[in-house]
Amino acid sequence: MQHMLAMILQPAPGQTSQPPYAANTTVWHHMSDALHQSLDRVLSLLIAILPGILAFIAALAVFTLIGMAVSALLRRALTAARFDDYLARGRGASEWAPSTSPTALVARASFWASILLGLVIGVSAFDAAYATATALPSSLLPYLTRVVGAGFLLIAGSLFARYLARSVLIGAVNEQLQYARFLSLGVKWLVLVLTAAMVLDHLQMGGNVVALAFGILFGGIVLTLALAVGLGSRDLVSRSLESHAEHPTERGAPYPDAPPAGSGESIRHF
Amino acid sequence: MATSDSISEVTTPSAAPGNGLLVLLAAMTAEQLESVLVSLTASFPAESLVIASPDPFPEDFDPSVRIVAAPPASPSWTRTAADFVSASQLAEKNQARAILMLGAESGSLAPSSIRTLADAVLTTPTDLAVPCYQLPPHAGLVNSAILYPLTRALFASRARFPLAVDLGLSLRMAQRLAGAAHRFTAANQGEAPLWPVNEATVAGFSIDQFDVGPRAQPQPGGPDLNSILPLVTGSLFADIDAKAAFWQRYRELPPPSDPVPHAPSTDAPADIAPMLHAFRLAYSNLQEVWSLVLPPNSLLGLKRLSTTDGDLFRMPESLWARIVFDFLLAYRLRTINRGHLLGALIPLYLAWVASHINITASGADPEAHIEAVAAAFEADKTYLVSRWRWPDRFNP
Repeated sequence: MQHMLAMILQPAPGQTSQPPYAANTTVWHHMSDALHQSLDRVLSLLIAILPGILAFIAALAVFTLIGMAVSALLRRALTAARFDDYLARGRGASEWAPSTSPTALVARASFWASILLGLVIGVSAFDAAYATATALPSSLLPYLTRVVGAGFLLIAGSLFARYLARSVLIGAVNEQLQYARFLSLGVKWLVLVLTAAMVLDHLQMGGNVVALAFGILFGGIVLTLALAVGLGSRDLVSRSLESHAEHPTERGAPYPDAPPAGSGESIRHF
Repeated sequence: MATSDSISEVTTPSAAPGNGLLVLLAAMTAEQLESVLVSLTASFPAESLVIASPDPFPEDFDPSVRIVAAPPASPSWTRTAADFVSASQLAEKNQARAILMLGAESGSLAPSSIRTLADAVLTTPTDLAVPCYQLPPHAGLVNSAILYPLTRALFASRARFPLAVDLGLSLRMAQRLAGAAHRFTAANQGEAPLWPVNEATVAGFSIDQFDVGPRAQPQPGGPDLNSILPLVTGSLFADIDAKAAFWQRYRELPPPSDPVPHAPSTDAPADIAPMLHAFRLAYSNLQEVWSLVLPPNSLLGLKRLSTTDGDLFRMPESLWARIVFDFLLAYRLRTINRGHLLGALIPLYLAWVASHINITASGADPEAHIEAVAAAFEADKTYLVSRWRWPDRFNP
């Protein structure tokens, strides 16, 4: 292959080289050498890491098969042992109770644990092959792990932002705050901005610029929210303070919809 | 529905010591405790009584009545899992034949009502004696809107107050409830409510309901509706989820009894404006959440409601039944976080309350409206069963 490339790049033997092009021949020769060497390096790297790639694929395949076998065995054994019924007897009405059957959950967990183990073993085999292959100036693999980590951060941050935004929205609506949606959006963007800053920091992109921009943006959002809530609830706060000043010992109504005394029939939810 | 018997008609319960009635009292004021003790000693021979109370007894109390130490008073306003565990343990320890649980403020119950509940489990084969209170028209609204209709539609029981604080229990009923309660106490959830009517129905035990007249209802102490409603509805939804294999089968509902009388109200009608405001605010903000739970038809109904004027505001019974069923389905399927789901139900419940107040203000009998709501739940049960089994089926 090296010879082929050299032949392509070299002038045809039948052609007469003109004196004005003698220097060009040297240039072509040097270029050809450089390309040969580069091709050599890449090919030798590929050949060196090929066993690592094969080991990675083999480890993943073997542990997937093992995971499937373990999962099927566990599923059968737990079904035979009536594991679901046993747990249902001992389980209260927990918020975090699984939605699927515990047997299916255990089987699925064992399968994915096997896959994870295969991935770890495969990656370590690949890493070993990569490290011994060459000391070539390449930082692709470490950076890839950072990208994967950043991806996880992004997903977790987005989920957390959505959860918090919905919590704030529902809570604020039930407290009958007029700016419930605005508050919810503010919280969502706060968390998203924080996530974005963490992702960029994890990727080591931007350096100080990211930290600075994040500080400005985060502070800006907090200030905007504080101003909006403060201005929006100014009347509410003043009314509350006035009523406190007038009736210092009176307790608030237990329910937001309970009418004030004397305004009509009382409502009891319980 | 059985009615309260007069004291003279009731046969005297067994007077054998150690084979009588265990009365488990909730924490109450000294005056209320004295009133309850007077009722109990007047109705039952002292030798057949075992009384357990977390409060100190009066010094001049009849020494022939056996007094046992009760566990510390639960801070909850309703019966909790821990209460049923204690009741069963005390009954076993004192060899009681039946248990009478009296909740907070039970001093407001008539003595004849207390005796009726106790006699039902002492002298008849009844396993669970539940009271039917006579409440003001706009009291116990969570019960009327959600607890009673759901229990009636799914468990084929006409128990008007499924979460009653006063109960008569046979020994086997107490053991059954303690078994169910152990699941919660073992998970350190002793304060969770328990659903005796559902347990008794699933176990095939006999349930009788008795008119006990007016009673001051204990109210939740600290948190507001936003905390209590999700707690109660979440507990009922979880219980329904756990007993799905039972209620999906068709069961005949017992014949209706006399309607529950409501205590007359002399006040002006309640102001529904804050509730309508809460509903409209939620309609403009929670569309995104509701659309994950409710089908388009229900959303359309809510849209119409959101533009209806206050005086004409009426939530159709069928719409309310469908809303509650869809929330129950979403609870089961975990369509969204359960805390969010139950929080999103609160404005819809307030809309139902506003509608109920409007309907009763127009002259309709409150109980007739509540019965109509319960009937709508029964009629729509097929929808719930169908979607429970095939949740992904097309749902317009």
